[in-house]
Amino acid sequence: MTSMASQTSEQVRSGVTSARAVVQASLDRIAATDPAINAFSSVLAERALRRADAVDVSPRRNRMKLAGVPFAVKNLFDVAGLPTLAGSTIERNSEPASRDALLVRRLEAEGAVLVGALHMDEYAYGFTTENSHYGPTRNPHDPTRVAGGSSGGSAAAVAAGQVALTLGSDTNGSIRVPASLCGVFGLKPTFGRLPRTGSYPFAASLDHLGPFARSTADLALAYDAMQGHDSRDPACSPRDPSPTGALLQRGAGGLRIGVLGGWFREMALPAATAAVDKVAEALGTSRLVEWVDVEAARAAAFLITCAEGSELHLDDLRQRAEEFDPMTRDRFLANALMPAAWAMRAQRVRAQFARRVAKSFETVDVLLAPATPCVAPIIGTATLQLGGKAMPARASLGLLTQPISCIGLPVVSVPVWGLDDGSPHLPIGVQLIAAPWREDLCLRVAAALEAQGVCSAPIAQGL
Amino acid sequence: MDPTEAYIDAAAATLGLHIAAEYRPAVIGYFKLAASMAETVMAVPLGVADESASVFIPVVPLSDDEEDAR
Repeated sequence: MTSMASQTSEQVRSGVTSARAVVQASLDRIAATDPAINAFSSVLAERALRRADAVDVSPRRNRMKLAGVPFAVKNLFDVAGLPTLAGSTIERNSEPASRDALLVRRLEAEGAVLVGALHMDEYAYGFTTENSHYGPTRNPHDPTRVAGGSSGGSAAAVAAGQVALTLGSDTNGSIRVPASLCGVFGLKPTFGRLPRTGSYPFAASLDHLGPFARSTADLALAYDAMQGHDSRDPACSPRDPSPTGALLQRGAGGLRIGVLGGWFREMALPAATAAVDKVAEALGTSRLVEWVDVEAARAAAFLITCAEGSELHLDDLRQRAEEFDPMTRDRFLANALMPAAWAMRAQRVRAQFARRVAKSFETVDVLLAPATPCVAPIIGTATLQLGGKAMPARASLGLLTQPISCIGLPVVSVPVWGLDDGSPHLPIGVQLIAAPWREDLCLRVAAALEAQGVCSAPIAQGL
Repeated sequence: MDPTEAYIDAAAATLGLHIAAEYRPAVIGYFKLAASMAETVMAVPLGVADESASVFIPVVPLSDDEEDAR
């Protein structure tokens, strides 16, 4: 069973253990638990052990920040020698990637060791990872339930203790939703912060990449190792890196913290609002902040995703629609028919919403909102009762994350436990949201909540 | 025929997309879901100065160093 990344790297740096031993333990844990979870689409044992040996003999070993830390990536990240599946079978026949995605290379440069690739919803279009081609990824805390998506394998692998660290992508909530449902920490950085070079896009004007881990310190460790501009991603900001690890100890003291009201409470079930209230109480805030046009922002993100996602797959939709996952095929087909004005108007509404929200951050530093409307649904759940009406479950799990990623704000999702009366064994996430480029504030508040014992990410028992 | 369904059929034919009979009910459902989202977005008042969030970034040639780093 894996330790936290920060502990592992310290032990490998100091020679208490070897990278090979740590990586072998991770591979053993994957072999023992993945039949029940189905998080991994590929396990790269030979590559990982070779890489671990290289870390063990590296003259840089005692300076590597992630020495010997096993990690895995959503299978939309390029991995040298593998076709980049992005959850599909269509891409099985694509050319194998010639090199690893840039973020994989940056983590390995700090001594981390890639052990495999992880399941996801096809082409990242979903919030549950109920992939028809590869089977559902199961929630390690209750395998009858979904792991969330689209980075379901990334959250489940961390919750199952298979690896300490994973990477995923978030276009409308695909890091925060599975982090919430699997009870792990997830960071969606500011849009444009981390380069997406070498990853398969979904909706390029909304796509973000980020890490999952079992502690805030591990999130910061990975995030800091991945920062830095890359001109091959046109959306990547030329800003200098802003390291966060040394700032975590500053805690939440002095920060102005508010709770998002309106849509963010109306569309949440009691467990979700209780989680926010518990976090707010721990942070000593009862301040309510309301944004206008949240529903329109969610709709704008929805439409931009429809337009960009379907255009990307138009040739395959024409030539081999039957090869898509039925869960995504009919949506892509419908979306391809959308009038251009809907998407163009959505982009203008998005810009207006971003300006309005920016004003709210003149008087507050961090805002709280539920990450999902509810705890993990049972696999196959079709509808949820939200805001007084029956809503499609798979699309609605992102109702509370979509308005935030629509305008690219940085968010840490932190796990809170025991608040669902019917399922007290399940976690639910709270989003800690800051102004653009202030990932440090989200991480400081997350670290403070963790130190208070309000949030934690224990490895699932009984696997 | 329902005007939305007529639009779907015409747009699909124009784009060269074949909507198989077994996919059609779901495609119509998802298109109507997008239409309801569009209704929400279209109801937001905007002025001519409200520009798109999609902004083009001119592409600068790479330096030799950057090219080598690839």
